[in-house]
Amino acid sequence: MSDKEDPFFVGYLPAPKSLRWFLAGVSLLLILAFPLFSWAVSVTQEDPGPSGYRFDFGRQTLTGTITLAPYPTLHVTEGSELVAAGETILLAGVGKFGVANRVSDFDGALATLQGIILDRGDLRMLQVAGGRRGVMAAEGEAPTLDIEPLGRWRLSGEICDGKCLAGAMRPGTGIGHRACAQLCLVGEVPPVFVASEPINGHEFFLIGTADGAPIGRDLIDFVGLYVEAEGEISLRGGMPVLIIDPETVESL
Amino acid sequence: MSVKYIPVQWNPNKYVYDAVMLAAVAAFLWFFMFVSPDLLAHDRPITGQIRTARAFGACAFFMLTVILCIGPLARLDARFLPLLYNRRHFGVMAFFIALTHAYAILGWYFSFTPIETYEALLSTNTSFDRVRGFPFEILGLFALLCLGVLALTSHDFWMKFLTPPIWKALHFLIYAAYAAVIGHVALGVLQDGHATGLTVAFGLSGALVIALHLAAVMKDRRAGDPAASIAQDGWEVACHADQVEEGFGKVAVLSTGERVAVFRQEGKLSAISNACSHQNGPLGEGRIIDCLVTCPWHGFQYNVTNGRSPEPFTETVPTYDLRIDGAKVLIRSEPNPPGTYVEPVAATPANKDTV
Ligand code: FES
Repeated sequence: MSDKEDPFFVGYLPAPKSLRWFLAGVSLLLILAFPLFSWAVSVTQEDPGPSGYRFDFGRQTLTGTITLAPYPTLHVTEGSELVAAGETILLAGVGKFGVANRVSDFDGALATLQGIILDRGDLRMLQVAGGRRGVMAAEGEAPTLDIEPLGRWRLSGEICDGKCLAGAMRPGTGIGHRACAQLCLVGEVPPVFVASEPINGHEFFLIGTADGAPIGRDLIDFVGLYVEAEGEISLRGGMPVLIIDPETVESL
Repeated sequence: MSVKYIPVQWNPNKYVYDAVMLAAVAAFLWFFMFVSPDLLAHDRPITGQIRTARAFGACAFFMLTVILCIGPLARLDARFLPLLYNRRHFGVMAFFIALTHAYAILGWYFSFTPIETYEALLSTNTSFDRVRGFPFEILGLFALLCLGVLALTSHDFWMKFLTPPIWKALHFLIYAAYAAVIGHVALGVLQDGHATGLTVAFGLSGALVIALHLAAVMKDRRAGDPAASIAQDGWEVACHADQVEEGFGKVAVLSTGERVAVFRQEGKLSAISNACSHQNGPLGEGRIIDCLVTCPWHGFQYNVTNGRSPEPFTETVPTYDLRIDGAKVLIRSEPNPPGTYVEPVAATPANKDTV
């Protein structure tokens, strides 16, 4: 039996007087509890790091030597205010797409590209603009790329897609972002290994396979996890590249 | 109560309820999306779409937590019953907030790809054998589907159509949805180990839901309805006449497992099923208002002598034959068909001011 003294609430009748203060208190508590929860979750979000699109420098026009393998890169010969000549940068398309099919005629040749730069520390990528002006042939002699082998290494860290890592998404790493990164890699956006300990001062390594083909499902399954992997490291036109040995990759 | 189905039977209490709920949700989202970026002051802020997805996801989780707390709170303290009254609006709102989270994620993480969005969602990450790296999005999708089913069937039309027992069983899906959301968060964002506030708030929320449910179960065990004792063939002693006060009910559990509620109206006793035909609300914890037993959950009313809702409503509950043996109230174990009239039985008044 309900207690005779308790107020009895019937939804379609005015609330009993003795309940009104209680209900007002509960309502106030709810209206405060929601933003309190919001505060606890929102103000403790991690800083996504120094990455992002450089819209502040506008559309860039860069000329340089295209290299297709392991993923398309541009070794800049004529730079801009933002990208100096001599740098090597990664290339990707708009969305979760690489640009291999758009630059396939230029392997080892000069081209002039237009697009927006994304950067994170010494990692740079050009998001090549759509349309004819995105990729144009350039006159001149293409310099050959210096390759400096650094030997075989075992390194730990995370396999990411270079575009989100460079700031297309902030944050663009980790488990929450795993499926997105996997889709980028399926779309042949260049993958990047983020080493937990720098090697020869380098933290980011463009990942490639020994045969020069895009990485396969066996590696894509490890995206976003904390992994260990072995491979040959070299600097190609100054860009750190890891030719990964897929057999050695394991999640920790 | 309804004779004709209209989308929502509004009344002032529902307006207040929804206004409080909307204010709370709006405050949550406003803080997350518009205040927190300035407080965080990151040099390069979190991408807007990701922030939106996080805001709506966290809000849906907190709403579900509150929704799941209302039931046990109302068991523990009847003053919380008004929160139960319009809980379905809360649930429907939670579904739309969760849906917005899903759209923000699909439109960002699973778009601009060579693969179609929904195919990408289901086929990209297939590491079901991993804890870290598990396709936690699937758990979120499952929870969203559950909430969608609950929201779609939340109207009384569906309760009538499916029958209250099936409807109630279906609405236990809320627990499956919450469990899936727990998995979705624990195997997803918490795996990155840097969402401190979320980890703490998430742990406290889960613990609160579990603690309140346990406390409600323990209270029901301690102070649950007493069992009737078998008297003669087919009759059971439900209570003593003087335990039933004017305008109130007294509940007993019969040997059949059914609960009977004995009421006193104008000094005479009547017995009806304790289960409201709306959502099985405990009629014995209701009151007699305007000569009608009024359910404590949503206010459906029944004539205590025949278990029928007043015209033009059509709800009915079973009645029970009863007789008095000295001070004992005897109930026939088998109920009468819903809506059967039973002559009220005069019995010793419960107290002098009720005569
Ligand atoms: S009125 Fe809804 S359960 Fe009784």
